[in-house]
Amino acid sequence: MSSDALFAALASPARRRLLELLLREGDQPAGRLAERFDMSRPSVSEHLKVLRDAGLVAEARRGRERHYRLEAEPLMSLRDWLSPYERFWRERLAALGTILDEMPSTMDEKDDD
Amino acid sequence: MTEDLTAIRVDHFYAHPPAKVWRALTDPELMAQWLMPNSFRLEIGHEFTFTTDPRPNVDFDGIVYCRVLEIEPGKLLKISWSDGKKADWTVSWRLESEGRGTRVFLDHEGFDPDDTAQQFSRKIMGGGWRTHHFTKIADLLETMP
Repeated sequence: MSSDALFAALASPARRRLLELLLREGDQPAGRLAERFDMSRPSVSEHLKVLRDAGLVAEARRGRERHYRLEAEPLMSLRDWLSPYERFWRERLAALGTILDEMPSTMDEKDDD
Repeated sequence: MTEDLTAIRVDHFYAHPPAKVWRALTDPELMAQWLMPNSFRLEIGHEFTFTTDPRPNVDFDGIVYCRVLEIEPGKLLKISWSDGKKADWTVSWRLESEGRGTRVFLDHEGFDPDDTAQQFSRKIMGGGWRTHHFTKIADLLETMP
């Protein structure tokens, strides 16, 4: 799966919302997902298809209904790609704290108490 | 609050006075310990590099090219930050006293609003989507066989 396809799939707020619902509430039928949106059911199905093609959700037939579940793997594989800077800076700023705790203060840096 | 699509902003509190934080922030050897090995000098216009491990998966050769843009002693350091390719960013550290300590505001600015990949990563990072969701996804993966 290419990063481009994943980005394209995730670029839509509706599709991120679908992933959120699956993440928060677990597997569910397409119909129940569709009820949460103002758009038509075929439109929701179309979004689900894009997510499926990107490997972000998997579909299983149960009786007459199609159930969807989140496939977290592709997101995990993107994590490094997506998040480098915020994570980087949070880690570096935390490391700065460790250095500061170990550094002796000079005279001008003492607390004035 | 409107979402700034061109910047990452992170802040951190330290229980140390600003003068000490400033020293850790601008001393090349200390900087090497918390950030990366570097040829930094606290001098406007100075060009320098940070070196770290290359990350081929994001097309980064491990060298960050920088220049010192602004200095307000004890208060602000601003540098340019480039991967030598397409990215052309600025990074600034602003220090503010907070009680008996210091809060550092880090701004990493200049993300290109027209670059879909950069923008998307910005959106995910900034919207809390990444942190929140990846944490949950990570938890989820923990429980998966």
